[in-house]
Amino acid sequence: MSSTTSGTGRRETLTRRLLRAGFADLTRSASLWADDDLQRRLPPDGGESLLQTLGATADPDLALLQLVRLAGAPGAGDRVDHLLSAGPGGPEAATRTRLLAVLGASSALGDEIVRRPGLLDSLAGEESDIGTDPAAVRAELLRAVGADPAADDPVAAADPAPGTDETPAWADVAARTSTDALRRAYRARLLRIAATDLTATDPLVLLPAVAAALADLASAALEAALAVARCHQPDHGAGVRLAVIGMGKTGGRELNYISDVDVVYVCEPARTADGTAVMEESAAMRVGAQLAARLQKVCGGTSAEPALWEVDAALRPEGKQGPLVRSLESHVAYYERWAQTWEFQALLKARHVAGDAELGAAYREAVDPFVWAAVNRDHFVEDAQAMRRRVEEHVPVAEADRQIKLGKGGLRDVEFTVQLLQLVHGRTAESIHAANTLAALDALAHAGFVGREHAARMGECYRFLRSLEHRVQLFRLRRTHLLPTSEEDLRRLARSLGLRGQGADDLMRLWRDTRREVRALHEAVFYRPLLPAWAQLSDDELSLAPDAARARFSAVGYRDPDGAMRHVVALTEGTSRRAALQRQLLPVMLGWFAEGADPDAGLLAFRKLSESLGATPWYLRLLRDSGNAAYHLAHLLASSRYLADALARSPESVQWLADTSRLEPRGPQRLAAEADAVLARVDDPGPAATKLRALRRRELARTGAGEVLGVLDPVQAQAAISDAADMVLLGGLRVAEYAARSELGLGTDAAANPTRMLVVAMGRIGGREMGYGSDADVMFVHDPVPGADAALAKDFAVRTARTLQKMLSAVGTEPNLPVDADLRPEGRQGALVRTFDSYVEYYARWIDVWEQQALLRARPLAGALGGDAELAGRFTDLVDRYRYPSGGLPDPALREVRRIKARVEAERLPRGADPTRHLKLGRGGVSDVEWAAQLLQLQHAHEVPGLRVTETVAALDAAESAGLLDALDAEWLREAWVLASRLRSALVLWSGKVGGPRGDVLPADAWALSGLANLLGDVESGGELEELYLRTSRRARTVMERVVYGED
Amino acid sequence: MDRQQEFVLRTVEERDIRFIRLWFTDVLGVLKSVAVAPAELEQAFVEGIGFDGSSIEGLTRVYEADMIAKPDPTTFQVLPWRGERHGTGRMFCDILTPEGEPSLADSRNVLKRQLAKASDKGFTFYTHPEVEFYLFNQMSSSDQPLQPVDDGGYFDHLARGSTHDFRRAAITMLESMGISVEFSHHEAGPGQNEIDLRYADALTTADNLMTFRTVVKEVALEQGVFASFMPKPLADQPGSGMHTHMSLFEEDHNAFHEPGAQFELSKTGRQFIAGLLVHAGEITAVTNQHVNSYKRLWGGAEAPSYICWGHNNRSALVRVPMYKPGKGNSSRVEYRALDSAANPYLAFAVLLAAGLKGIEEGYELPEATEDDVWELTGSERRALGIAPLPDSLDEAIELMESSELVAETLGEHVFDYVLRNKRNEWDAYRAQVTPYELRTSLQFL
Repeated sequence: MSSTTSGTGRRETLTRRLLRAGFADLTRSASLWADDDLQRRLPPDGGESLLQTLGATADPDLALLQLVRLAGAPGAGDRVDHLLSAGPGGPEAATRTRLLAVLGASSALGDEIVRRPGLLDSLAGEESDIGTDPAAVRAELLRAVGADPAADDPVAAADPAPGTDETPAWADVAARTSTDALRRAYRARLLRIAATDLTATDPLVLLPAVAAALADLASAALEAALAVARCHQPDHGAGVRLAVIGMGKTGGRELNYISDVDVVYVCEPARTADGTAVMEESAAMRVGAQLAARLQKVCGGTSAEPALWEVDAALRPEGKQGPLVRSLESHVAYYERWAQTWEFQALLKARHVAGDAELGAAYREAVDPFVWAAVNRDHFVEDAQAMRRRVEEHVPVAEADRQIKLGKGGLRDVEFTVQLLQLVHGRTAESIHAANTLAALDALAHAGFVGREHAARMGECYRFLRSLEHRVQLFRLRRTHLLPTSEEDLRRLARSLGLRGQGADDLMRLWRDTRREVRALHEAVFYRPLLPAWAQLSDDELSLAPDAARARFSAVGYRDPDGAMRHVVALTEGTSRRAALQRQLLPVMLGWFAEGADPDAGLLAFRKLSESLGATPWYLRLLRDSGNAAYHLAHLLASSRYLADALARSPESVQWLADTSRLEPRGPQRLAAEADAVLARVDDPGPAATKLRALRRRELARTGAGEVLGVLDPVQAQAAISDAADMVLLGGLRVAEYAARSELGLGTDAAANPTRMLVVAMGRIGGREMGYGSDADVMFVHDPVPGADAALAKDFAVRTARTLQKMLSAVGTEPNLPVDADLRPEGRQGALVRTFDSYVEYYARWIDVWEQQALLRARPLAGALGGDAELAGRFTDLVDRYRYPSGGLPDPALREVRRIKARVEAERLPRGADPTRHLKLGRGGVSDVEWAAQLLQLQHAHEVPGLRVTETVAALDAAESAGLLDALDAEWLREAWVLASRLRSALVLWSGKVGGPRGDVLPADAWALSGLANLLGDVESGGELEELYLRTSRRARTVMERVVYGED
Repeated sequence: MDRQQEFVLRTVEERDIRFIRLWFTDVLGVLKSVAVAPAELEQAFVEGIGFDGSSIEGLTRVYEADMIAKPDPTTFQVLPWRGERHGTGRMFCDILTPEGEPSLADSRNVLKRQLAKASDKGFTFYTHPEVEFYLFNQMSSSDQPLQPVDDGGYFDHLARGSTHDFRRAAITMLESMGISVEFSHHEAGPGQNEIDLRYADALTTADNLMTFRTVVKEVALEQGVFASFMPKPLADQPGSGMHTHMSLFEEDHNAFHEPGAQFELSKTGRQFIAGLLVHAGEITAVTNQHVNSYKRLWGGAEAPSYICWGHNNRSALVRVPMYKPGKGNSSRVEYRALDSAANPYLAFAVLLAAGLKGIEEGYELPEATEDDVWELTGSERRALGIAPLPDSLDEAIELMESSELVAETLGEHVFDYVLRNKRNEWDAYRAQVTPYELRTSLQFL
């Protein structure tokens, strides 16, 4: 390297040197480098070796800044001279590397060194900081508080009296109290651990040892704090045995740099040789509680030196409400009766860390059986699911992408997977009873519960995430689990993990990949081994023994594990390509079924579907290539029997699941075109009708899937179902006319028809509000062509109507659509078909107010597929006069409407039905709301054009905008109507049963209610759903009574 | 282990208790009891005791008759009237569904839910009831006229008065069951007594009231008389109410207290009162649940028939008692409509809900009324904006029917049940031909 003597030239060269070394803030660092205190201490090589060492740190600019501060710090002089002047190689250079690594990665530790240059001494030397015998660490911290490490119950030396200047012989010169002495000794060792960690060639390899060293240091600090606490007791707490049990990461010997230290205390009076207690148990508890409280203060309270961390005893029995210390017996009694499942999960980690070792061991031995029996508890599945949700929830949206610990794919996710597996299999396999996450993972792989490859990859992910967390915490020594956002912080973080160059970007990529992998690994680790051995993808994979598989299936909610295993075997058996694909697919599907309301039904349906479709080339490929399709399929199969059947019958429908836009309704035009094409190909009426019905079945499946997956709202779903019914009716009309012509020998041409036919949709189909199980209410109208023979025209019309009814209503392979014409004039006594003129005459002379009301939903069918648009228009004009009567409803008619409503209420509800739960005819059910809407239409449609609609919700909206309903009343009616309609649909979807007496009743059993809640998606639980329906319908009822009965 | 449960098991063992009564309350406020042997107790703590709920008023719908009573160990007491040796203990129960969820039909759970809502806002709800009741001589048949045990009046000390002995015995028994009595005296009517319970959190108070009614009836029987909590047993004498003092605490601080404010009453306190006034009408079918309740409410003699509040105004519905200097934590408001025959769980729940609603919505408190509202003319009351409480159970039911507040507080199931039950009570009452009608009309018409 050449250097010029000109000022600018020299500057340039320095800048280049800095740049090459890895500095980022060149101007500032250049001026820092020129600092006098620094320059005069540089080694003989002009500082080149120093610059290289600085450049190797996580943040060279920060390291340099801190070094300059240190060089100028009082009391640092000689020590810094010594370190800086050293040439490459040799012990001083090694210490220098350690110092700079710390300065460049942790501003907090750097500040501490500047404040206490004496700490530099603890960085020196070859002394091993990681992998030290825990006993040696314990002894070091005990000596720091003047306690004898060899004593059974070490006691710290007393603090000097306040006001005396005497320096206690045992203490670090600057510490005035044993608490401060402990904290200084702790931090000196923490600094050494950090230095070794930060200079490791591969931090990920060293991670378990670092975490163990931190846990040992914390244990030693707890021991020393206990010694300090004893010193404050009159007789040093003699006669009281206190064991400190580490929980969480402390217990697992996998602590991070800074976090709460979770503990539980066990306390007993000491006993003489013959077993008698030396003091009353209650007295021992009192002293024990004082010791524990003081211990916590020594570690976490305020003092001259900063606190170490909070000691958190919240995992104890009864949590914060419970007494701080308990006897062993009392712990056991609590776990025998009262503990929750998560508490047993927490106990997995329990390990003696300080105080009475014998008592600690007795505790572990006593609680062990509870941990391994937890999986047999009632509600284990629900609890485990709730625990898993807790892993994923509670992450604020803003932090979701930066959370290292929580959220999907975070550290908790790994820990949860490992702990759940331990709980599920630990009852039979002692070898997996490890408190440490990585050790447990190894043991699980070794014992054959997790594939080796998966275990290794999961361990890798865990190490990476933990290292990341360590580095983030080290910077400010703050308890945080969030990735920083600034470019500068990310660069430092990346470099501290050895990622140079495009550090920040690489880091973020690695971080996202890891999280994604953790998520996938949960499925792989948990569900893949449920496949039989011959179904595994490679020799490395493993398969669980039947008992273990059974335990695992029931732990996630399969009620019939044996059945599930049979299905899995059937699905993956054989050497076919199909079986091979299933082996890849099934593990993740098993997990998705478990999230649904009925995992067993989901798996069974999947098996059936796969058996009928397995040979279809696209089926499994689609599921393998589209995560969406597979997820949606699992969700539908495990939550809806109706859709399980429907998908099995319309196999092609599985294809829609990959792309939810294909679940959107096709719309009347496209449906008509499709039906048209079908009819053009078929000549025979029978097969033609079957084809139409198949088309409708397919649309029902599409709509159901769309509704459950949230692509369609309930009102859109009803419209889609109605469109499909329109299509079948119009197509069917065309087929029926064809049949009538051939029966009457009129030839094949539609022009030979003696009369024009019209189908008028009424009721729910008229309102475009059909559910999955609705019938089609219709009226038939015909209008003879001029000059046609009246008798022939009538014969033709009747034959057409009858054929249409028969074709669509008959039970067959494809689902039927019962066609009901009971709303026609004179009901069942009247003629099935009337001429248009006859309608004109009938309505003019005989119309009743209930018929006017029924006509509100009359919708003559005419469209691209068929139907006579001109006749439809004329019929609409005719009925408008009656359904939207000018001047509204005269008083006698209003009274009549009210009377009919009252009678219907009394008569139509099935015997024994609970009116509060009948969705259609009960209190505030669908019918109540519709009566309210329809009465307003009869009264006001003549003056409010918006009311001239057949849809209930549209009518309510119009009534609200016209001021006929106040906003709250309209809202209550709409809510009740929509909820009841959704529930009626959900009942069909859940049970797979169309019609029947149960179809309109909110079920009472908890299982069905929670299935419905799961389908609705926006309600938490079955109980909440019940309360919601009762409330909503009660409100609607009060509004209905006001509107219909005119009550206030 | 839950130390309370341990304590109960130990006590049962040590005191050689032979039966433990598990108590719960039906929707109408009637105490129900099932006895278990000590051997079954541990099981009862873990799993509860199953029973057929369909035969208990309002507890279940027919199709889910199986219910579980789970004893609350913090309520364990030995029943003193069952003797010292081989005694009987009792605990209140929570009612659970077979799935282990709190039953929507359990009135104790209704109150717990409401208290949890208050707790979410940082409040603890304390109540302090003044319970009035009558003592009558035993009657040999129900045709006899009622005979009060004495002719005393308000605060009278009667020499060798049997009510004096009675109160002493009752109070001793209550205290031995851990229920502190604040105050007791002879009330205005002959044979009428008042015993005030010390303030406690509302759930404890409600439990205590259930115990209280039982104790009073037991002691009366021991003394050869009988006690009645009927709101208005004697047409020409004052009725038995249960004026209830209420306060909200935030941690240790009384949220109703504000030094220097009018009546030392904080904004929270004013809004709470406003909530009580706004919703007074619709909660009356719960606070005054019987046909007879309305005869007390509209029987004069300081009964609070009108919705207004005042400071030391003994005719107002809500009264803010005189503030005692230096006793900031004793700030409270007194609701005077409640009667001794209410279901205390439901009544406290709706009162709390009404008050909280006032706080949530920031209701404005109208002017205090200093006049005796009974003395005002109807027009004067209208001018002052003072509305009456419902004058019959019928009207109260109607107001409750349209109350979202009450529906939400009770839950749909209890709400519906109470309405139906009260409607039946009203219908049955209306079908009566009373002695009054016979006396005034039979001969005359």
